[in-house]
Amino acid sequence: MHSHFLLRRIHSLTGVVPVGLFLVYHLYLQLYLHYGAEIYNNEVNSFYDSPLATWALVIVVYIPLLFHSLLGVLLVFENKIQPSYTYFSHLLYWLQRISGIGVLLFIIAHVWNAKLGPWIAGTWGTHFEHLSSGFADPETGMLTKTVYLLGVLGAVFHFANGLNTFCMTWGIALTPTSQKRVRSFSILVFIILTASAFYALAAIW
Amino acid sequence: MSDTVTFKIKRQNTAESSPYWENFVIPYIPNSNVISCLMDIQTKPENSKGEKVTPVVWESNCLEEVCGSCTMVINGKVHQACSALIDKLEKPITLEPMSKFPVIRDLIVDRSRMFEALKKVQAWVTADGYHDLGPGDRESQSIQEVAYKLSECMTCGCCVEACPQYTQKNNFLGAAAISQARLFNMHHTGKNITDERLDTLMQEGGISDCGNAQNCVEVCPKSIPLTESIAEIGRQVSGKILRNIFKA
Repeated sequence: MHSHFLLRRIHSLTGVVPVGLFLVYHLYLQLYLHYGAEIYNNEVNSFYDSPLATWALVIVVYIPLLFHSLLGVLLVFENKIQPSYTYFSHLLYWLQRISGIGVLLFIIAHVWNAKLGPWIAGTWGTHFEHLSSGFADPETGMLTKTVYLLGVLGAVFHFANGLNTFCMTWGIALTPTSQKRVRSFSILVFIILTASAFYALAAIW
Repeated sequence: MSDTVTFKIKRQNTAESSPYWENFVIPYIPNSNVISCLMDIQTKPENSKGEKVTPVVWESNCLEEVCGSCTMVINGKVHQACSALIDKLEKPITLEPMSKFPVIRDLIVDRSRMFEALKKVQAWVTADGYHDLGPGDRESQSIQEVAYKLSECMTCGCCVEACPQYTQKNNFLGAAAISQARLFNMHHTGKNITDERLDTLMQEGGISDCGNAQNCVEVCPKSIPLTESIAEIGRQVSGKILRNIFKA
């Protein structure tokens, strides 16, 4: 098999199976924000401090995510801009690429803000306080909130639309009818995950 | 209705020279199409400033949207010039050669890349001799219905012109060739070399270069279900990956 082909298929797979599923789990964890500082911190810590978590995160999340991002950035620049073709799928095609770049920048900021920063500062473990104080900051709070909102929206869109194109790439949805069904499903995923993520953020708004 | 029609045409004298825009104003004739207007311009090659210029050249053949040779970009969208009716187009009408192929002159482009793509995917039925092979297998009605639609492809280039993934810098085979590979993979004799076709489609420029923008299916003048063909080849290739993994 040619590496060109294989790399793109792995790109498609990694987006859904480890990275996409991690996104869903990650957003699920955030719902604990509504239960207050103690329960939220316990839930998050029990995930990150479990014996397998570090290695599982590296193998299941960080490496696939890095691969998906790096190849994704290369893929964005191999096409031609053709604004006269104003079809919905074509719009999604560009939104997928724009959201991909946006989410990559958001993830870099997010990993720095929520993980590396607290680690260096020695405040790792107090996730709830870290998040809510960041949001409540009178000067940078609004910016942080906006970045989180856009970042989460972008990530959810990228995942939901990615599910749609995944089904076409791998030949799961063949006919126009089945492709329409998959699109409806991905829109449902987008709505549910966006609602869940925004509801979670509302706890510390 | 105004009694003249203005054309804004992107022209180019030779393959190497740079393009330029020229306007032409011709009398309006009801029910005319882009080809008949180009013929009018040809009979009196005079631009809107009244200067005598070389006539605009284009390619055309069947004049009934089955040969694909008059494909060009009309008002920003790719279409056959013969079936582009003046009454239905916004004025002034802009004509450009397709942007994904090298221009030979004016509206004529060199589409040999599409033919090369058909050769690469071996879009044919292999026969290894001239002797009588006897009657072929009977096709089922359901296969006939799909195959007939796919066989209407005229390699016009609309699908690849509208495709953001198909550029003059890369070597993507494009939706037309992928769809033809599907057609011959479902043919009784053609499917003998299915594996070879899939091998080609699993290389650089193959199926993995599709970005799912789905413009191809929107612009196809023959309404060929191109995204279905791409998904079907995607499925055949997925099967091949699995078979390769579990093959000793």
